[in-house]
Amino acid sequence: MEQVERLLKRTLPFQVVSPETLDGIAEISRHEVFKAGQVIYGAGQPAEEVYVLVSGRVAHRIDPDIKARVHEKELQVGDVFGWAAILEGEKVRLADVACIEAAEVLKIDGARLLELLRKDVNFGEAALKSFSQLISQQYYLPPSVSERVPTTLSKVGDTRTPASNEAEPQTASAWTLTMYRASAWLKSPDPYLMMVGFALMLGFWYLTVEVLKLPRFEDLPGLTTVVKEWFAEDPVYGMSIYTAEYYQHIWVSIRRVAIAFLLATVLGVPLGLFLGWSRSFREYVFPVFELLRPIPILAWVPLAIIMFSGSETPVIFLTFLASFFATALNTMLGVESIDESYTRAAACLGANRWQVFKEVIVPGSMPYVFTGLQISVGVAWFSLVAGEMVSGQYGLGYVINTSYTMVRYPTIIIGMVTLGIVGYTTSAMVRVAGNYMMQWRLREMALGGR
Amino acid sequence: MSAVLEKVRTQGNEARYGAIRIDDVVKIYDPEGAAVMAVDHCTLDIKAGEICMIVGPSGCGKTSLLNAIAGFHDITSGAIYMDGEMLCGPGKPKADPGADRIVVFQNGALFPWKTNLENVAFGPMMQGKLSKKEIIEKARSMMADAGLSGTEHNYPGEVSSGLRRRVEIVRALMNDPKVLLFDEPYRALDSLTRSVMHESLLDIYYKNKVTIFFITHDLEEAIFLGHKLVIMTTRPCRPKKVLEVDIPHPRDYSVLTSPRFRELLEETASVVHEEARKSFASGEKEG
Ligand SMILES: Nc1ncnc2c1ncn2[C@@H]1O[C@H](COP(=O)(O)OP(=O)(O)O)[C@@H](O)[C@H]1O
Ligand SMILES: [Mg+2]
Repeated sequence: MEQVERLLKRTLPFQVVSPETLDGIAEISRHEVFKAGQVIYGAGQPAEEVYVLVSGRVAHRIDPDIKARVHEKELQVGDVFGWAAILEGEKVRLADVACIEAAEVLKIDGARLLELLRKDVNFGEAALKSFSQLISQQYYLPPSVSERVPTTLSKVGDTRTPASNEAEPQTASAWTLTMYRASAWLKSPDPYLMMVGFALMLGFWYLTVEVLKLPRFEDLPGLTTVVKEWFAEDPVYGMSIYTAEYYQHIWVSIRRVAIAFLLATVLGVPLGLFLGWSRSFREYVFPVFELLRPIPILAWVPLAIIMFSGSETPVIFLTFLASFFATALNTMLGVESIDESYTRAAACLGANRWQVFKEVIVPGSMPYVFTGLQISVGVAWFSLVAGEMVSGQYGLGYVINTSYTMVRYPTIIIGMVTLGIVGYTTSAMVRVAGNYMMQWRLREMALGGR
Repeated sequence: MSAVLEKVRTQGNEARYGAIRIDDVVKIYDPEGAAVMAVDHCTLDIKAGEICMIVGPSGCGKTSLLNAIAGFHDITSGAIYMDGEMLCGPGKPKADPGADRIVVFQNGALFPWKTNLENVAFGPMMQGKLSKKEIIEKARSMMADAGLSGTEHNYPGEVSSGLRRRVEIVRALMNDPKVLLFDEPYRALDSLTRSVMHESLLDIYYKNKVTIFFITHDLEEAIFLGHKLVIMTTRPCRPKKVLEVDIPHPRDYSVLTSPRFRELLEETASVVHEEARKSFASGEKEG
């Protein structure tokens, strides 16, 4: 008996209880031995007893239906398992537990354990809290499980909970995942480091230009000047968040990028898919593609102006071109990245060539396609500004260029910052769309803790 | 259930289809250039409903042989027959892949972008033999039989590797294949999971009429599962020793400690070891 008590005293939840309670628990503990390979219990079975591992090696595998961050672990001597027996609601095993080597365990009846802990006015609650902690920290289970430990004494004995608790959806929806990631992000140091980064950059700008007036910096528009201009109802240089002109420039640029990006996607993705899929097609097309791709977008400007009339189409063409190459190339790489066993498996299962294309090649290359699309929006903005600086009547690139010739320096900065914000937003939108369309990947990554 | 198991005994599961005859097959990669010979005049007979275990050192050409049966690539000479019908041979160097011979891959090939249920339903969906509703119903019930209920709407990446293997086998069985071809499917699993997988594989085998062609380099696994044990030479591969495992089916884990199992292990271990040493000496890499 004493030995049992000493062992219990070492386990996390029972460390805290009073000596009398410990006595009681030791009294209701039963000793049992399992052979190597023997199953102690399986998921879905009724859960009546809580276990403590005394010796040996035991594998614990949580039912894959349950959202645990880690599903498989090996238990250490002194570990408490089988705590499903004291959860509120339906008491069923949540895991398969089997012996890797012969193992000795203590079995403690769950209902009687709860009774004992309830009697321990001083420490019972702490022990139950520690159970709850154990479930979330050592078994990596979400609060939906760990909170089912009846941690307040009044709740003990009330074993029935509304059925709604049980009917929790089995798979996380995109929304809960997104929220989960957002809250994880907020809890990590990342957002605060990011703020520090911004503060440093703005501080540098302010100091060098306005306070220290360093050579080479002193002619630049200062932080305060730009901010004042940007938010001025009556801007000195004619453009702020209160002028319609500002939004017209933004709108024109976004429209151009959107058209070019859509065209590039509609043409680039299929081209990339076929390049990756059909060897003979690739042999015809790829060399031409590879020859054109490295030509800088600026080198296309004269041709664009000669080929297309007006100021709108040449800019869209230039923007399109860069996006198109990025999308097509990444899509092709995506097709090449697909493991041969997937196409082979599909062939085994009776898929014809077209079905393999539709069911394997297209979804299999999606991760690369979306990487390509993110690069594609990025280069779209890049070439848009190049195009707008040369030709065009509106747009953020045009604003930046004309503000320079007309010596409206703060407006240049406003145009630049706006470009940054709008560019970032569009590329974030592509990322969100990609995550939405590739739930399988998102879930895989969420589970991998990435 | 036990009546079914009685029938299984040594004869396998009484499948009448799925006999494979490998007749003097040679496979040379890149015959004009490097000319890597992977399979060398290999002849082997596998009875319908038999579990045939292929053991051989890494890189000896086991996968090449399996790929030839599955129809993933051509053979250089010889012929392969299934139930007397030529799959590939003179005049038809490459077999057509088909749902009568389904491969379970070394690293698993469940489509990660499809849920487990969609994966299981994939074969019949592609073949278009049943209505969508019937397929889903059948897929659900087969998954339930294999203890996979509740994982239907998970993606393969969300479940444990052991479960993934089971889903993959169910995906194959959905098509009523004659032969299941396993290419070291349990290699990446830990030993505990592997032992669970062995039992579940035998369970599935006892309930379904299939022939099993199973590649492994684990001799214990081979003796535990197989009716027939084929030990291959180092590359190019050719049967070096063919052995009938006379431990009656159905088997369970107690077999591992039986004297007969130990005897068979001793009898074969030295042969395998010798080939492994040759393979190591020649610096063979696995394919
Ligand atoms: N596509 C290929 N082209 C050329 N050589 C190959 C190819 N596939 C496999 N090989 C070679 O054939 C030999 C046998 O490979 P494989 O059948 O994969 O062996 P195993 O499955 O027994 O490990 C290896 O030497 C490998 O390098
Ligand atoms: Mg291989």
